[in-house]
Amino acid sequence: MELLRRLFEERGLKVDWEAYRRLTAVLREELEWARELRRKEADWSYIESRPEPLRTALKLLVEVGDLKLASRLCSIPLDELNEERVKAKIPLVVVGLKDSGAFATNAER
Amino acid sequence: MDLFSLYNRLLAPFAVFSEIKREPARSFAFALAAERRLLVVPRLEAVDALALRILELVNADPSLPPIDPPEAYALAFAKRAGYPLLTDNASPKLASLTLEELRGVEVLDSLDVLRLLYSGETLFKALKEFTEDTGVRFSARRLRELGVA
Repeated sequence: MELLRRLFEERGLKVDWEAYRRLTAVLREELEWARELRRKEADWSYIESRPEPLRTALKLLVEVGDLKLASRLCSIPLDELNEERVKAKIPLVVVGLKDSGAFATNAER
Repeated sequence: MDLFSLYNRLLAPFAVFSEIKREPARSFAFALAAERRLLVVPRLEAVDALALRILELVNADPSLPPIDPPEAYALAFAKRAGYPLLTDNASPKLASLTLEELRGVEVLDSLDVLRLLYSGETLFKALKEFTEDTGVRFSARRLRELGVA
């Protein structure tokens, strides 16, 4: 966090660090929950049956949950990887940022 | 298509639009563009500088979901134009809630949009349908808050 703080300050950018700390704590919990869900729901026999680099891309997707990142790192077109994702039963998980109460839409702040 | 009861038009930066390569998504996007319900925004130099800064800053913490150049551009364009940004990536929302430079940008994900469109039993059905169609799942915590989990 200190490194980030320095980086942002060097660029002259103002950050609400209290909100950042609170929201990232919730986000990290949500990301871990989402990772477990993907691990649990993925069709591992389908994933293992796929040729490389698809197999690794799907495994990466289970771990990081970022379709675009997996697509880019493994050089597989986004749409093709998404079709494979559906066949492999890997859910895309939309996480939340707020720890309680209303949703974190800016309109509601 | 109920989305158009919330917004008259959707705007997609060219970099985002060009990511749609396969059928049937491609034909669907082209049909919307032909009906002028989807406008493709060309690259604007005035937006580039902010987009680059967003890219660098949001990606400064590698343990959080990254933002890619097309999405950074979309977020910068949303800020400059005063439009809401629709994305399922949590990082643009985090950035808009914490970075002074992005304050005021409304970032909505699929669940926010469904919640604006429907309520009660209709929302429950829409969530079920959306999940079945897309393989997208929503945070259990948020569904509990909605009373649908």
